[in-house]
Amino acid sequence: MGDLAGIIRQFRDSDLQTTLEMLVDYSDSLPPLPDRYVPLLESSDARVPECETPVFLWVEVDGGRVGIFAQVPEESPTVRGFVSILIDAFTGASPLEVEEAPADILHRLGLDKKIGTRRMYGLGAVYARIRREVRDKAEASSLKQ
Amino acid sequence: MAEYKHPEVLVSTQWVEDHKDDKDVIVVESDEDVLLYEVGHIAGAIKLDWQIELQDQLVRDYLAAENFERLMSEKGISNDSKVVFYGDKSNWWACYAFWTFKVMGHENCLIMDGGRQKWVDEGRPLVRDVPQLPKTQYKVGKIDESIRAFRDEVLDHMKAGGALVDVRSPQEFTGELTHMEAYPQEGCLRGGHIPGASSVPWARAANEDGTFKSADELAAIYGGEQKLSPDGEVVVYCRIGERSSHTWFVLTYLLGYTNVKNYDGSWTEWGNLVRAPIER
Repeated sequence: MGDLAGIIRQFRDSDLQTTLEMLVDYSDSLPPLPDRYVPLLESSDARVPECETPVFLWVEVDGGRVGIFAQVPEESPTVRGFVSILIDAFTGASPLEVEEAPADILHRLGLDKKIGTRRMYGLGAVYARIRREVRDKAEASSLKQ
Repeated sequence: MAEYKHPEVLVSTQWVEDHKDDKDVIVVESDEDVLLYEVGHIAGAIKLDWQIELQDQLVRDYLAAENFERLMSEKGISNDSKVVFYGDKSNWWACYAFWTFKVMGHENCLIMDGGRQKWVDEGRPLVRDVPQLPKTQYKVGKIDESIRAFRDEVLDHMKAGGALVDVRSPQEFTGELTHMEAYPQEGCLRGGHIPGASSVPWARAANEDGTFKSADELAAIYGGEQKLSPDGEVVVYCRIGERSSHTWFVLTYLLGYTNVKNYDGSWTEWGNLVRAPIER
């Protein structure tokens, strides 16, 4: 698992220009969608409906560890960057760690102030979706055991 | 086939390719996505952000003249620069920046027809290098608020039965939604539209590829169907004034209407005002 608190600190202490550069780096390094998910892109329930950008997300909880897989178009680098941060922070984390992550992450990263509140809604929806799916998948896997 | 009334303000992607390095030309990218410029833009283009840069960060307004002067000087824009705007979302934000520049009295503004999408679809290159333009001494001359409508004027205009064009989606117009789909943070306490306004969603003026529709097609919509008078006062509005900048541009420059105002307070102001009259 990446260090979410460390990422938050880094963003919080950065000026606008550095913030944008870090987001570009994250956007560039969004891992490609694994092949097994590509045929599922047609199914609409993987799409985050509140986000204007077509964002497709899948969450896995395997052996008590979280995996997040996503496809976000290159024309939407801000959303790509944010999803990539979450993948970095949460891959390999336990469901409890995801649940305990701050609900106001966009504010803590300083993105609302730096890039404007009018751009926050879709990002907030992506975050809520990931956390909800981690919770649902964790519950489902504990029922199986 | 009719021509646009002011074709000189619209340039093609090819024109930009050919003239972007001209000394008097400054190409400006203005997007909804704050990072889009960073991941690739037309070589030599500079970035202008509608939210971070053009708006005052305290009061809900555009930059005061001296702050606009400072911004222009830092960006390397001169009073006589030919500023060519382009951006994402069928040029919404390019038109918004264009309109803001016109309010600030900048004379020579152009729009690249089709915006960023067309440039990319044509396989034209994007770069990440950020140009460093020499600083200028920019001076705001006469601010032109004749193209900007404020709420009290809109109320008087409405009472007088003046032409009002609501460019939001049909669901926002009827009050079924109080925000554009996927933008609820810009919501309002009340849904509906300004009484007497007609519904002409902005996208009716745009083609699939992001370019503007032809003069004949536009005249059929705004003149034929909507019976708007080219000399009468027309107020356009949306949610925060960006989609209506697109329609303002179409009416003013492509059809030559002489008295079009953009109500930038738009529904996020009207739909929250105590006792503002609303129709559903």
